[in-house]
Amino acid sequence: MNTSSAETHPAKQIASAPPLLSVEDLSVRFAGVTALSGVSFQVLSGELFAVIGPNGAGKTSLFNVLSRVYQPASGRVAFHGGDLLRFKTHQIARAGIARTFQNLGQFPSMSVLDYLLLGRHARMRRGLLSNGLYLGSTRREERVNRVYCLHLLDLLGLTRQSALPLGSLPYGLQKRADLARALAGEPRLLLLDEPVAGMNTEETEEIAAMLVEVQEQLGVTQILVEHDMAMVMGIADRVLVLDFGRIIALDSPAEVQAHPDVIKAYLGEAFEEDANISPTLFPDPGQ
Amino acid sequence: MAYFLQLTFAGIALGSIYALISLGFSLIFKSSGVINFAQGELLLVGAYIVAAGVFEWHLPFLLALLLGIVVTVLIGLLFERVILRHMIGRPTFSILMVTIGLDTILLTSVIVIWGSQPLPAASPFGVTSGFNLDGVHFASNDLWTIGITIVLCALLFGFFRFTRYGLAMRATALDQEAALAVGIPIRRIYALAWGMAAGIATLGGVFLAISSFVITPTLGSAALLAFPAIILGGLDSVSGAVVGGIIIGLALDITAGYESAFASVLGAGFHDIMPYLIMILVLLIRPYGLFGSRKVERL
Amino acid sequence: MSVFKKPGTPLAESTHAVKRTPGQTRRLSSWIIAGILVLASILFFIVAGDDWFAIVNNTLIAALAALALNVLSGYTGQISLGHAFFMAIGAYTAALLGGMSPSSPLDPQGFALPWIIWLPAAGIVAALVGALVGPTALRLKGFYLGIVTLALVFIGHYIFLNLSAVTGGSPGRTFPVPAIGTNTFDQQNTYFGVLLTSGQQYFLLILPVLVLASVFVSNVMRSRTGRAFRAVRDHEVGASMMGVNLFEAKMGAFLLSSFLAGIAGALFASYNSYVIPDYWDLTLSVQFVAAIIIGGAASVWGSLLGAAFVFGLPQVIDHFSLLPPPSGNGGLSSGDLNTLLYGALIILFLLFEPGGMVGLIGRFQRLGRKKASFNAEGGDPAEITDLSSDNHRFIHSE
Repeated sequence: MNTSSAETHPAKQIASAPPLLSVEDLSVRFAGVTALSGVSFQVLSGELFAVIGPNGAGKTSLFNVLSRVYQPASGRVAFHGGDLLRFKTHQIARAGIARTFQNLGQFPSMSVLDYLLLGRHARMRRGLLSNGLYLGSTRREERVNRVYCLHLLDLLGLTRQSALPLGSLPYGLQKRADLARALAGEPRLLLLDEPVAGMNTEETEEIAAMLVEVQEQLGVTQILVEHDMAMVMGIADRVLVLDFGRIIALDSPAEVQAHPDVIKAYLGEAFEEDANISPTLFPDPGQ
Repeated sequence: MAYFLQLTFAGIALGSIYALISLGFSLIFKSSGVINFAQGELLLVGAYIVAAGVFEWHLPFLLALLLGIVVTVLIGLLFERVILRHMIGRPTFSILMVTIGLDTILLTSVIVIWGSQPLPAASPFGVTSGFNLDGVHFASNDLWTIGITIVLCALLFGFFRFTRYGLAMRATALDQEAALAVGIPIRRIYALAWGMAAGIATLGGVFLAISSFVITPTLGSAALLAFPAIILGGLDSVSGAVVGGIIIGLALDITAGYESAFASVLGAGFHDIMPYLIMILVLLIRPYGLFGSRKVERL
Repeated sequence: MSVFKKPGTPLAESTHAVKRTPGQTRRLSSWIIAGILVLASILFFIVAGDDWFAIVNNTLIAALAALALNVLSGYTGQISLGHAFFMAIGAYTAALLGGMSPSSPLDPQGFALPWIIWLPAAGIVAALVGALVGPTALRLKGFYLGIVTLALVFIGHYIFLNLSAVTGGSPGRTFPVPAIGTNTFDQQNTYFGVLLTSGQQYFLLILPVLVLASVFVSNVMRSRTGRAFRAVRDHEVGASMMGVNLFEAKMGAFLLSSFLAGIAGALFASYNSYVIPDYWDLTLSVQFVAAIIIGGAASVWGSLLGAAFVFGLPQVIDHFSLLPPPSGNGGLSSGDLNTLLYGALIILFLLFEPGGMVGLIGRFQRLGRKKASFNAEGGDPAEITDLSSDNHRFIHSE
């Protein structure tokens, strides 16, 4: 799969549209720790936007604010023209934000199909009474949505596992099922929390290819938190680098790799001026 | 006034018993995170063994007390090793239910062995022993209860502060993984916590039995009031458990003493639910209790 | 080659072609089992004596109550030790609405309404009380919620003891009996030329109620609401991010659970005709929790099996006088044996098979079939205890 970012990317062509997500001066504090400080950036519609940084940099806190689990100490976030900070956690799905999980095993006993249907919770409407009586409206809703989810499973190669409990799947397939679940809700913005953590090269390439497909075929905007540099540099349109809760770089992958502050953050000051080191920090994505 | 003082004294004595029970809970919870529903029945078994020791096997009181402590400690250790060891990492409710299972088995065993009719409680004191002061009767049993509780608290304080195992237990309570990492034998710590809790339960049971004059299988249900006590005091605070216990005991006795004046409104038995009302109030206003630490709400 | 098509196409294309999807059709084996049960029920109805009806009717009522608890705890993961309280609310609502008009100031109150009113009302009032308790489940989790529900039992006990106008106070009271026309269920009556005993009449009321409740719950669990319940049990925050409104979900669970519990309480009180307030105690709540652990949490069949074991078995043992009844003087009585047994089984099941009996059965089925088997409810009976208390790691690590 050709993952070179030098080729024309849809993101570059829509840079003129208003940003889908706009974060302004965001600060997050808890228990005396400042997780994020004065973070500002924008994500364009259809972009594949990566967030990297050493451990403790604030990446997860950022995701937690975007998925409305944390309330920031200060700052503004605009999503799709609206004030995202006024949303409660359960309202983000309806608004079109979906998030994958970093660690798995949250829903071990649910079948893969049910899990995807859960991902469509905000897109379905029938309530307790209609469900219990299994009225025609529930019947129809269930059938239509099941078909949709089965189709999605088919596209992602998970049909054989549709009736199996998530907990019984191998790690790689669980990750894939989680991605499927996030997509099932037809999101505008997909927050991917370390989607290839713990995967081998082959699995990583598969997921990377899927993410590019998601961008190109579905036009879904993605924000990706990852540690796998090769993968990130290979598919991202732009990369945001966080360190100690602040932005130290925001640019295309190539620029970011050569950025002295970024190198310093990852390797320390001794390497700051040694230009020979940087190529090995971020391996050539063409491999 | 004398009446109020009498109630207060009785309340403190009763509160000391709850403090002992809550201490047991707290020890186990702090070191292993387990909420031991069987604490009440350990208390019950202890009280019955002591009574059996004195009346059936004609042992002197102290020896019977020792026997009771040994038996309950053995039960506690056995339960911890055989069952709880295998439940490490399981959800809180599973472990709670397992302790309820133990509770059920212990209670039924007591009924099967000794029947459910009231039996006389073993007591080293005469019924009226104690002294009177200003119209208030200070019963020996109550004095001993309060005294022993104070001594135990002091001993525990010293244990936690100055001994290696005490330090190890505090460390395990804070962070089990870290404790393991520095080489603390946490299995032994759990066993120690359970053993201590069981022994303290027996003491509490004996004091409770003496103040009730008879023992029935329902004695263990008194331990349920330890829950309001530890919630009031703070689930992760040992000193909170003691303070909570005393407050609950006071609240109970004082309410019981004065509720007849409000009988037309409150009816009968209001004092029984007073602790629970306090507990609900605490949960609504200050869920981490008087001395508990506010958990950083990192969702 | 593209991996995806644009959204919208799958829906339009595939809907016509597919009529049934996995998880929606019930397997043939389920129909066979249902058929066997129907036949067994009919056979039982014709042949059994009233003493057996007592055992079966009480077990069916217990199954309804266990099902109610499973909705709240097994499926939605809300710990409740207060089940006895909700059943009592239902029972006393029935008593108030259906009881005979008092003839003296000391008699219990009653409006002498027919069962078609007091039975559903029992459920509705219990559900309303459940709606009051529900919001606490939003603020309190796990152990704390359990303790508050425990407190409910004691507070309820205090209220019932003192509200003698409705409950009869500590001596208790009799409870209303369903009737069709002048035929009251507490005696033999003839319908269309067929003579039916009291047990048979009650059976014809209790069984359909249980079946309807089971079907309703089963439907809920295999649709959107049920998935939301299970998501709340497994991982609240994650569920929330997927769009599940935690307040609505928990309230829904409390409402449904309390409704069914209230009806079960009313049926129990009516069938056994005389109940004292002491009956609705913590032990009763614990027995129901034991029932769903032993039978299988988050499973309709698990509720039935668990109730059969915890409530039916001791009656059967009594019936055959295998052991003496409790005498208070020690020695192993039938009640003691059963209590020891379910105490031990709680521990054993939680240690080795958290899915209860249903989980065990599922395990054997899988051994036989070598692939996962699932009932239409959508999954293995989950551990009642798959609570999200510690599942916040994904948000912590960076």
